[in-house]
Amino acid sequence: MISGRNRHLLTVSCLIGQGLFAMTDTDAVFILAGGFDARRISSRLKGYVLSVEKGLSHQTFHVLDCHDQSIRASGRVLFQISDELKLVGDGMVLAQKGRAEGCFLSDLTAGPVRDALGDFPKLRAFMRIGSGVMSTQDLSVLDDLQKTQVRGVLTTLTSERGQACILTFGRMKGYDRTFKLLRNNIDLDVNVGLKTLCVTLFPDAVPYRAKPEIRLGKTEPSVEVATDLIHTFLTVARQNEAGLLANIDTEFLHDYRVSLRRVRSVLSLFKGVFSERQTIKLKRTFSDLMAPTGRVRDLDVYLLEKYNYFKLLPPSLHEGAGIMFTMLEDERKQVQAALCRRLRSAKYNKHVSATLKLFSDASNFELGPNAQLGAYDYACALIWKRYRKVCKRARMITGETPDALVHDLRIDCKKLRYLMEFFGPLFDQIAFKRILKPLKKLQDNLGFFNDAAVQQEALIDFIQQRTNTQHRADAQLAMAVGGLIAVLDQRQKVERARVIANFQNFDSPQVRNTFRSLFHQKED
Amino acid sequence: MKIIACYSNKGGVGKTATSVNLAYAFAKDGNTVLLCDLDPQGASSFYLRVKPSKKLTEATFFEDVERFTKSIRASDFDGLDVLPANMTFRDFDVFLSRMRNKRSRLKKALVGAGSDYDVIILDCPPNLSTLSENIFKAADQIVVPVIPTTLSERTFDQLVGFFEQKKLPRKKIKAFFSMVQQRKSLHQETMESMRKQYRKRFLQTVIPFAADIERMGQNRAPISIYAPRSQACAAYQALFDELEDVLVSKR
Repeated sequence: MISGRNRHLLTVSCLIGQGLFAMTDTDAVFILAGGFDARRISSRLKGYVLSVEKGLSHQTFHVLDCHDQSIRASGRVLFQISDELKLVGDGMVLAQKGRAEGCFLSDLTAGPVRDALGDFPKLRAFMRIGSGVMSTQDLSVLDDLQKTQVRGVLTTLTSERGQACILTFGRMKGYDRTFKLLRNNIDLDVNVGLKTLCVTLFPDAVPYRAKPEIRLGKTEPSVEVATDLIHTFLTVARQNEAGLLANIDTEFLHDYRVSLRRVRSVLSLFKGVFSERQTIKLKRTFSDLMAPTGRVRDLDVYLLEKYNYFKLLPPSLHEGAGIMFTMLEDERKQVQAALCRRLRSAKYNKHVSATLKLFSDASNFELGPNAQLGAYDYACALIWKRYRKVCKRARMITGETPDALVHDLRIDCKKLRYLMEFFGPLFDQIAFKRILKPLKKLQDNLGFFNDAAVQQEALIDFIQQRTNTQHRADAQLAMAVGGLIAVLDQRQKVERARVIANFQNFDSPQVRNTFRSLFHQKED
Repeated sequence: MKIIACYSNKGGVGKTATSVNLAYAFAKDGNTVLLCDLDPQGASSFYLRVKPSKKLTEATFFEDVERFTKSIRASDFDGLDVLPANMTFRDFDVFLSRMRNKRSRLKKALVGAGSDYDVIILDCPPNLSTLSENIFKAADQIVVPVIPTTLSERTFDQLVGFFEQKKLPRKKIKAFFSMVQQRKSLHQETMESMRKQYRKRFLQTVIPFAADIERMGQNRAPISIYAPRSQACAAYQALFDELEDVLVSKR
């Protein structure tokens, strides 16, 4: 198909082309599952020949994403090919130098790929979703004079589980008609889209979901709802273990803890579903699982805030803050290592597997008096009660109320939120969103208030632990800590002052009506 | 933007081969190049396998910028575009003046389409007409292939005379000896005498008479594509280097 003369041209186009589906002015990107049949396409292009360069170049590729695969969810795929990043999607290919695995978005060098990934989660690191070998070949559509009218690159991706192709074509000036002819003919039946590409190559790499959808029936016994929820959350927790052990980013531990906290909330909020004895036993199991993670998470929070802490302090106190953060980083290494040892142990794995198995069947438990209540009625009663409790507490708060009562309000709001999330699938989603929004706003406010308080306590603890018997501490360290405490106290006061306004927003007649109509209809 | 006209008032001197090989050399050096095929026979388009555009012969053509930009064709080589033959001389005058004018709609359209060319190479038809005069005025360099024979010597004299008569700057003329057969004493003698007579007009490079160059019509590609190690290929590269030096020193 390729004449001797023409081979010269192809060699040159290969040399001067940018290779690897990397034409800068790429105008069309096609994704094909399986191989590419050039002959079939060629036979459709009347008067033209689609020729494929014979020489192949092979390279290893890695597909990168974060744990929940947000790039894939946006319909794109990020490739790492030696020290180059390529983002395929939106009908185009972007490329820039650099490596991303193990990095955060902010670590990437500036370039078109980084710019296009602006919505990538800030706290997530890029990790390898799968790898394989890619081969690239130049393509050209030739007319009867063997003149190239469309140039392209065929990239064949092969993983252990499958094969897919990425075809890119660039327009050549003056040959738009041929380009359109080719595009229409490929679009016809073989273009499958990027989402299929990942499924074809890495069928096992199922995206992680921190809040999987749980199906609930309105009359499902509440004990089954409880076990379903716990089974799901424990499974989610386990999905974070590998990333936690590999120390990829702090979100793995965070999600691990959030999932376990959800389990514990089910146990404490679903009153009377399990027998009292059973509830105590289960609560113990999960608090034991969570306890060793607390310190690592606290340190993560401080370390993530490092930059902001420095911003809060005048430069004269930066030296002390530097010392403090070095100490915190060292401690984090130690506690993380201890946590990893625990998570790797056979004892832990056996224990968690057994617990998970236990929750696959509600009949494994001693039941309480509410076990057989229908989910919907049970949910309405729990949420309505908690809502009234939140309102009662909040309405009593004035400027003079002690901080402790504000903390209690925060915890009640959290419980209300959890209940609404657990039973969410049973209710009208639109009405739900309307009341969740002001609740979230109030919770954020209370969360900041709490963070400022907790951090002050932690800083006081920190300096006390580093004080000798004569109550003396390193001056630089003490000044930095003192400075931070002062700033955090100011912040806490600001947040405190906003609580009343945020609650009033939540306590609007509309929200009240919605709560009533959703959860308290029957008694009207 | 630099305009290089490839011109000879005598046919069959290797003008089109020079245009194509020079255009390719400029493109390979990282420039964006537009090769304008003004020869009604369309030989440089033929060498690059670009078919002439039918629309180009229509009279209203240059009134319409968009249609003009659409007639430009990408060659098979990065950075090298071709404006195929079949342009009327009047059209080309308009084209040249618009290319020179930064504010013309044509220029803006080209910049907008990402095709603001670094170098424009004109493959000119072989006669001394009003068009030629305008080309001589517009071009930065006029590359003239000369076969070292008595007849060519006469036509070159005519060209220089034309420049004098029309008060055109003669230093734009960059002549070089083409299709040279070193074994022919006539060629040697003619070259010697012409270099003496037109000391500043001739470049050092000499393009030999070579079968590799003649084969361009068969291969329909620049010579460095199919005979990269040939003497002829080296000669065209040297010609490019020499012209490039002149252009750079003028900047």
